[in-house]
Amino acid sequence: MTALRRLGDGWGMLVLPLAAFLLVVFVYPLASVLARSLTDPEPGLGNYAAFFDSPVYLDVLGNTFVTAGLVTLVTLLLGFPYAYLMTVARPFWRGVLMAAVLVPFWTSLLVRTFAWVLLLRDTGVVNALIPGEPVPLLRNLAGITIGMVQVMLPFAVLPMYATMRGIDRRLLRAAEGLGATPVFAFWRVYAPLALPGVAAALLLVFVSTLGFYVTPALLGGPKDVMIGELIVQQLSGVLRWGFASALAVILLLVTGALLLVASRLVDLRKMIGSGS
Amino acid sequence: MRPGRIALWVLAALTAVYLVLPVFIVIPTSFSASSFLEFPPKEWSGRWYENFFTDPVWLDSALASLRVAVLVTLLSLVLGTAAALGMVRGRYRLRALVSGLVMAPVLVPYVIVGLAVYATFLELGLTQTTLGFVLVHTALAVPYVVITVSSSLVSFDRRLEQAAMSLGAGPVSTFARVTLPLIAPGLAGGAVFAFVTSFDEVVTGVFLSGPDLTTLPVQMWSGVRVQIDPTVAAVSTMLLLVTLAVFATAGLLRRRKS
Amino acid sequence: MSRRTMVAAVAGLLALTACGGGSGGADAKELTVVMWGGDDQKRSVAAWIEPWAKSKGVTVKQDSPTDYAKFRAQVESKKVSWGAVEVEPNFAVTACQNGWAVKLDKAKVDTSMVKPELVGDCAAPVLEYAFTIAYNTKAFTAENHPKTWAEFFDTAKFPGKRGFWKYATGAIFEAALLADGVPRDKLYPLDIDRAFRKLDTIKKDIVFYETGEQQQQLISSGETPLIQAWNGRIFAAAKDGQPVANEWNEHFLSYDQLVIPAGYPRADLAMEWLNHFLSDTKGQAQYANQAAYAPVNDKALPLVDPQVRKELPTDPANAKKRAAIIDYTYWAANYDKVTERFNEWMAR
Repeated sequence: MTALRRLGDGWGMLVLPLAAFLLVVFVYPLASVLARSLTDPEPGLGNYAAFFDSPVYLDVLGNTFVTAGLVTLVTLLLGFPYAYLMTVARPFWRGVLMAAVLVPFWTSLLVRTFAWVLLLRDTGVVNALIPGEPVPLLRNLAGITIGMVQVMLPFAVLPMYATMRGIDRRLLRAAEGLGATPVFAFWRVYAPLALPGVAAALLLVFVSTLGFYVTPALLGGPKDVMIGELIVQQLSGVLRWGFASALAVILLLVTGALLLVASRLVDLRKMIGSGS
Repeated sequence: MRPGRIALWVLAALTAVYLVLPVFIVIPTSFSASSFLEFPPKEWSGRWYENFFTDPVWLDSALASLRVAVLVTLLSLVLGTAAALGMVRGRYRLRALVSGLVMAPVLVPYVIVGLAVYATFLELGLTQTTLGFVLVHTALAVPYVVITVSSSLVSFDRRLEQAAMSLGAGPVSTFARVTLPLIAPGLAGGAVFAFVTSFDEVVTGVFLSGPDLTTLPVQMWSGVRVQIDPTVAAVSTMLLLVTLAVFATAGLLRRRKS
Repeated sequence: MSRRTMVAAVAGLLALTACGGGSGGADAKELTVVMWGGDDQKRSVAAWIEPWAKSKGVTVKQDSPTDYAKFRAQVESKKVSWGAVEVEPNFAVTACQNGWAVKLDKAKVDTSMVKPELVGDCAAPVLEYAFTIAYNTKAFTAENHPKTWAEFFDTAKFPGKRGFWKYATGAIFEAALLADGVPRDKLYPLDIDRAFRKLDTIKKDIVFYETGEQQQQLISSGETPLIQAWNGRIFAAAKDGQPVANEWNEHFLSYDQLVIPAGYPRADLAMEWLNHFLSDTKGQAQYANQAAYAPVNDKALPLVDPQVRKELPTDPANAKKRAAIIDYTYWAANYDKVTERFNEWMAR
């Protein structure tokens, strides 16, 4: 018991079941595959050297982060006002807004992706509405962004809504009562309170987007390859498992480093709940 | 209404249309007579619905997905809520490591996870079993639960609990009657994420599936290299109708109550 | 939640978990076949396997789609559940070299009735198909459309986008070299540099597709009126009323093979079926009638519906127009390297 006590207090112990679960189900199998990056096809750093040998892999990595950043930004721009409106709308309209967020969840990702193809292609519905030459919306960054933001929006709106719903709006009125303009009150009073939820949602979107495979493979072009797609190709196509593992390790390291930098700027611990 | 508020509504309306647009394209597509996904359909038929109900493979995989997703939701709510409580309120060692561990399943590309668990689960005989799917999908879903539940816990006013305790409520009933209802939106959000993460998961599912057990998304994905079976559109349409029906019922019930 | 409901919930969880799944057991008369999935697999299994299985009292299990990573993982962990697996021939060569696939016992599997080029140490062919010049019949007519790869690459004479498969084994390099004037019998080993130079000339007009579905969508919508396609996809689209057709001149013959993963406990049964399959002209013809992919046993050809036969790469009239058989031994040795360059080229 004293040994346990040293690990943490009563509340802290509640973390243990999940930690144990993930160690067994997730970390253990993963470690054995990631170790292949150092052993397959031969022991050494060959797989990492191969990554830096060709500019194309660095491009893919850079491209992955740029795409994820763009998707996160657009998700924020559309999702934040949406979630905010949900907190102030009357119950009926809140229900409608909520339904619109939840509806896409029940349509398979694959089907939605193909629906986008039907909508966005040169001879598709959207281009039929735009006069003149068809606007290229498919097999490029626009297609990927449109497809992925639609997938990620619900994942951003729900946590933002959950947080913003808990904010006491009387604070805004109090600030305005004290002479603050509505805009000033919003940014100085409301926004800081909403920040943990918003930041958590965006982190979730950004990080999930990094490993995406199906949507970029079907809506993107050969210039927009993301790392998930490259890993699939290495794993199932050319069967270079060591190299595929190395790609995953590199992605993990870069993401980890990025989160570390971000934590200097924003209080990340708040976002994943270690605050207080 | 202030002009700012109007602009907000316009933006939200456009966003809502954008969210549901691909979904509503799927409905007419599901009634097409063509054996390709086609919009707008040239001829109409119900053959894809018939296919769903007459081909046992489709029904079996739909039931398997439902079973897995329900179990994943329960398990990840229990594990995730406990962990969120611990992370927000507790004091424990190696905080950064634990946070990293909890977030890791979102971070690692699913294909790598798929291959890793496949290799391990083959040895243990867990591929093509409900348990195998539940374990893997729970690992993938649980970060979403932890995040949504923690963010509602962070803005939680703990004086409410203290008040309940000082009025004589025990810790369990305080948790059940005060804490849970207040973090309910977070729990609900987490539950939806967990369910959907499992229900629509194809990448690790492809590895874990086989003739003994296949989930719905894997069934949808299985022929994709050659040709998409428009039955997937029919399945999506039916799922959509069920969801909307649940919403409408919930809305009506709420209205009757008030 | 009270303690009682908690216990009930956990009990329910366990009960639900226990009722799913189940394992195949050690039934000696069970064969698992793995193909690409979808309707096509249903037709294959019905035509090639079920009648045989019924007569032998064998239970057929199916999985799909073929995934080489799963294949390798099963072999490496020595828990092989896949029996006869449909694969691309370059993988068959790689798998054979690495010991992932069982060497065929030619005493048990008689491969004498199929083209020798299509047989490997570990693999027998399962179907033949062609990479054709497919065209949209609204954009081009039966008389006036590209009939050679040189014309396919001539965007001045035949304007519009061109579709290619985004994998190196999609005959894109072979087509480019032929278009650039390399004689048919001098294609292999491929001059990849020369192929890229030719591809550079039409790069901005190329659309890459990933799946058979996209192939069909691109060409029938007219978005990409010319496409290097799998003949059976175009056949299916035309049958569905879409404005598309195959040009057979200068087509590349390709094929899929069946392999047995090393360590499959019922490899003998799999070989027994393979042997039956190669001589099963009736089953092969039945499948060809539906999919327009050709039987590997030429004796099956007369049994195919004449309307379909003229859409098969092995029909004598079409076979005469063949440019080459894709050399998968070349591809097994060069796939990694060329894929890397190809990806780089596409990304720039």
